[in-house]
Amino acid sequence: MGFLKIEMGILKHTWIRKASLYILIPSLSFLAIFFYTPFIIVLLYSIGVIGRDGVISLNPTFNYFIEALNPLYLRVILNSLYLAALTTISCLIIAYPAAYYIALKTSYRLRSLLIVAVVLPYWISFLLRTYALMTILSSLNMLFTYQAVMIGMIYDYLPFMILPLYVNLEKLDKSLLEASYTLGASPIKTFFKVTLPLSIQGIVAGCILVFVPATGEFIVPYMLGGISVTTIGTLTWDLFLKFHNWWRGAALSIIYIFIVLAILIVYVRKIGGVEL
Amino acid sequence: MSIIDKLMKIHTLSILLFLYFPIAIVVLSSFNEYREFTSFKFTTKWYESLIQNSTVWKAFNNSLSVAMLCALISVVLGFLSAYGLLRASTAFKSSIEPVLYIPIIIPEITEALSLLLFYNFLSFPLGFFSVLIGHIAFSISFVFVVSKARLAGFDRSLEEASMTLGANQIQTFIKITLPLSAPGIAASTLLAFTLSWDDFIKTVFTTGPGFQTIPLVIWSQSARGGVSPELNALTSLMLIISITLSYLYVKMMRK
Repeated sequence: MGFLKIEMGILKHTWIRKASLYILIPSLSFLAIFFYTPFIIVLLYSIGVIGRDGVISLNPTFNYFIEALNPLYLRVILNSLYLAALTTISCLIIAYPAAYYIALKTSYRLRSLLIVAVVLPYWISFLLRTYALMTILSSLNMLFTYQAVMIGMIYDYLPFMILPLYVNLEKLDKSLLEASYTLGASPIKTFFKVTLPLSIQGIVAGCILVFVPATGEFIVPYMLGGISVTTIGTLTWDLFLKFHNWWRGAALSIIYIFIVLAILIVYVRKIGGVEL
Repeated sequence: MSIIDKLMKIHTLSILLFLYFPIAIVVLSSFNEYREFTSFKFTTKWYESLIQNSTVWKAFNNSLSVAMLCALISVVLGFLSAYGLLRASTAFKSSIEPVLYIPIIIPEITEALSLLLFYNFLSFPLGFFSVLIGHIAFSISFVFVVSKARLAGFDRSLEEASMTLGANQIQTFIKITLPLSAPGIAASTLLAFTLSWDDFIKTVFTTGPGFQTIPLVIWSQSARGGVSPELNALTSLMLIISITLSYLYVKMMRK
């Protein structure tokens, strides 16, 4: 009888293997309806298949894309990419030594304390953190300048760079560094020949986590830049919530999504898989 | 300790100072009688006027109900998908996982506007439910990632033992799987709650007339450089809640 029970157990186990796939259905259908379908709707708006008052016409047009690619908008797209690139590079330069220090030069106790200190801001929304920065920048009379926007971007995105770098550097095999020193390499040479190449995965993860959302950043340029800095984010806001020009807005966002996907694909292809 | 190490230490500490200084200033000035930083006199009057502000109370209730429902629903959906996927074949897993990951990578603003167009096309009424659905749609993915990480370190032989000893799959799930993954579930509940509680972009795109959450109140009052003591008090409250939640989360993830 005992034998039979074990058999039954195994049978049940294979049964549950199949059954457990069914419990994916609720979440997948939720995402299919409320995440993926809306993107198809955006596409339909951008080619004019959905018109005013939701009327469907079967004459797709590329006019909205041509409108969205006018020189003014192109400049906004380039500005956003430039701002995001500048943010990413600044964050990388600022975050790397800190992540290196926390991962390799601290005692266990201090390390866990520092990591909590770096992770906490991760959890505070950009709106609150940007507002906090705004109170200081306004008393310094720095609001509505490009510098204010840059400071805000670095302020908001820095934790997103430090954490993946730290996670990566923490796994670094320290005996490799010792080997490099023993073989006569200077600390600087060791850094460039051993540490930096080994931390490339962390650098890529950090850069993606900063660059991709930074291209669409909206809160920082709006709150700290006023009308002096226009990005894809502020333009999207204006097109959708101010001018209700949904068709041109939809075309702009399709272009933007393609830019983001292209960047991600190039990144992942180059490095071969990224752990975020 | 070499000079480079010392410089790195100073650098790290200045970064932390940079990250926390503005937050400290906001909290301090919310207790300041005067509007300028230059002089300080302790007061709680900004908090008192906050409590009497009915717009803030209404927004607080809205934020709380959306965040609680969002946490509940997305934890159930996200945890179940992590649980199910853990038992799937590798081929199936690698084709389904990206579907669950993509909402994290896509910039929030495109997600927000696509939902707006979706609602508009269906003439879906904008307000509580439209906001809630939007929040769940991205929280599921975050819960999935956290639960997956927690379940990965899970000893599967315990479930097998339970089944071999004659428990059925539902008993095993309730008596073995759920209690063992409780810290992960608690942590992802906190995460989903915070994501929703803090959210601004998705909310502003999918909300309708009359439905405001706290972030929307802060936004509408601070637009274009408006800094005020009442707003400092409100932001401080939100900051303290966020910091507490994240601290609890870090504690739970360590378990």
